[in-house]
Amino acid sequence: MIPGELELVQKSLAGDLEAWGEIVRRYKEAVYGVTVAILRNRADAEDAVQEAFIRAYERLHHYDLSRKFSTWLFTVAANVAKNMLRKRRRQDPPAKLDCAPDPAEATWKEEVEQAVREAVWSLPEIYRVPMVLRYWHELDLSEISQVLGIRPGTVKTRLHRGRALVRAQLVQRGVIRDVV
Amino acid sequence: MWSRDLDDQIREALSQEIEAARPELEGLEERVISALATRLAKPSIWQRLRQLFLPGMTPRWAFAGGIALALALGFIIGRLITPSPTPLSSYAQAGTLFAVVDPGAQSVAVVGDFSAWQPVPLSDPDGDGVWTAVLNLPPGRYEYAFVVDGRWIGQDPLADEYVRSFGDYASVRYVGSGGGA
Repeated sequence: MIPGELELVQKSLAGDLEAWGEIVRRYKEAVYGVTVAILRNRADAEDAVQEAFIRAYERLHHYDLSRKFSTWLFTVAANVAKNMLRKRRRQDPPAKLDCAPDPAEATWKEEVEQAVREAVWSLPEIYRVPMVLRYWHELDLSEISQVLGIRPGTVKTRLHRGRALVRAQLVQRGVIRDVV
Repeated sequence: MWSRDLDDQIREALSQEIEAARPELEGLEERVISALATRLAKPSIWQRLRQLFLPGMTPRWAFAGGIALALALGFIIGRLITPSPTPLSSYAQAGTLFAVVDPGAQSVAVVGDFSAWQPVPLSDPDGDGVWTAVLNLPPGRYEYAFVVDGRWIGQDPLADEYVRSFGDYASVRYVGSGGGA
């Protein structure tokens, strides 16, 4: 656990909302990373972050202090985001990526970066989320497995397949050449 | 672009996206605290429903009853919708052999770039613990691993070499023009 984190969690358990506010400050970007990976929409992801921290506080007594706090928090956030996604799917057509800049202004390097970004964010959720947890949060396989509730072997196959799909998209767009 | 370059590009792309949201997350602490203070001031819907319908039942028993019902429904639905595995006969009978010896295994599959990392099941029809699949692969270099009861087995003794990927090993097989390794 990060220094001081256990104390903050214990104070929060005792009802200290200021302590929980400090937890929010420390983890809000990381939790956003989880929710945006699932929801692929900034506004929804921000709402989900807030709801995730509220939900986590309400369920804090379920948290096992011997476990890594961030992993538990990401699990709560992933569940909140998945619930929102299910509701959204019932109400709306699939969301389009809302974060692409104007390609006309992009240099070649920016074009490559944008192509990679679009390729990653257009992946199906089952590949996109493990990739975000691995590449951005730098979680290990067992942590990703805990957060998503899937087996480590499945995590690994999804990571490989996700990367293969990104590569295939980049080849298709002519950004990279296929290497066998 | 090699795997490591692609990994770096993916990492960079994700960082940019998450970095871009930083301004919108300003003040989130106050919003969460405010929302929590409001919620804590009044009983939740669940608490009110429980008081209304289950005044004498403890939350633990109510929860256990709900879980039992959900499990029963899940079992019935699961039996109805579980697909059967892909038969081995759908693959060519001559080609590259993939084999795992594990008498205790319940399920064995091979995943690799030849299948876009989708599992291809291995079978053990005579129950001797030798799980096999023969795939007809065009000549080339293939990265793969076995997944045995959900565990990643990256080092196949029959592999030509191993590579490190996502912090673990994957095997590599070079398939010649005859389709065999």
